[in-house]
Amino acid sequence: MEFTLLWSVLLAVLALYAVLWWEAKRGNALDCTRDLWDIALGAAIAGLAVGRVTSMILGGVNPITHPGDILIVRSGVDTAAASIAALTVFGWLARKDLWATADALAAPVMAGLAGWHASCTMRDICAGTPGDLPWAITTPGGSVGRHPVEMYAVILFIIAAVGLALWKRRVPKAGVVGSSALFVASLIRLITEPLRLSLGSGPWPWYLTGTLIGAGVLVWRLRSEQPTSLDR
Amino acid sequence: MYRASLLFILLALLTAACSSASVPIGDVPDLPPTTPSKIQELLATSEQPVVLNVWASWCIPCRSEAPLLRTAHAESGTEVRFVGIDVDDSQQGAREFIAEFGLDGFEHYFDAQGEVPAHLGGRGVPLTFFYAPGGELIHLHSGVIDERTLALQVDEIKRLADG
Repeated sequence: MEFTLLWSVLLAVLALYAVLWWEAKRGNALDCTRDLWDIALGAAIAGLAVGRVTSMILGGVNPITHPGDILIVRSGVDTAAASIAALTVFGWLARKDLWATADALAAPVMAGLAGWHASCTMRDICAGTPGDLPWAITTPGGSVGRHPVEMYAVILFIIAAVGLALWKRRVPKAGVVGSSALFVASLIRLITEPLRLSLGSGPWPWYLTGTLIGAGVLVWRLRSEQPTSLDR
Repeated sequence: MYRASLLFILLALLTAACSSASVPIGDVPDLPPTTPSKIQELLATSEQPVVLNVWASWCIPCRSEAPLLRTAHAESGTEVRFVGIDVDDSQQGAREFIAEFGLDGFEHYFDAQGEVPAHLGGRGVPLTFFYAPGGELIHLHSGVIDERTLALQVDEIKRLADG
């Protein structure tokens, strides 16, 4: 029970790597997959660490006097801090070729997020707010039908991964696919958030911010005179 | 090097400032001792659903989940009874823990021998039990609890109480 979060990490990493490998022969430069893998992993680890430390500070735990607590990720990772840190580290690691790297990682990251959410089936936490639709699920020992909100997210992230991979093959302007990924990922979390059970009001303002930033960057890239992702 | 050291000291001060005790330790009384039969009776006679958390001040995962439990109590404390069982611990350690995390809103009991969790069907620390009114066990979570599981199970026992 204690290490079920590892399933989430495993599924996310497997899905991300599978799409990265699949894309290597199609949309991405053949020699860049290893770099992309390193960048994605570096950004994810940085996001996880910063999100965990932020969650500890907000919860009243001093990470310097209790460094061992940092490893217990399961009890909380601050989503906003983790996202900002991951995007910052991504920007720094990919600074030499930011837009092309963002475009290349867009579909794999969507697949990774789908894998992360799909792990709810192993942790019995797919259920959200009550609902009486035909596909409503109940929790173990529970009696109330609930929206399988995590599975909604899985389906939407898979659609996003496939859509972005196909769109990239049409070679849009550099940065368009990457900024679309930020927009779509934030939007998926924003529209599924009301169906998700959380303590407090939830991080929906951050998802709204991500959606607006993603939309803004997308419009900027669409209007730019930059070359396409593959003109390298 | 000088800048890095300065940054580290500032960060340490900032985090220390953010991590001050939520309530003065002087406001936290000694925990009343309990036994498995007393807890069984508490659960059986409770008209509200119960979240029963087994913790100890020496348990690192317990420190980690404490802020989540405090938030859940702040949100649902009027509809759900939050009970803490401190096991294999000292009174001083227990009071410091409660003060540090502001868990004084819970009903805490002291189980020096750690007999209660075994009697309820759990092993190790931390454990979180979710009970319907009348003491029916709905869910047992072993190990550190995450936000989604806690929110989901609290909602489930609240609905059982309503329905």
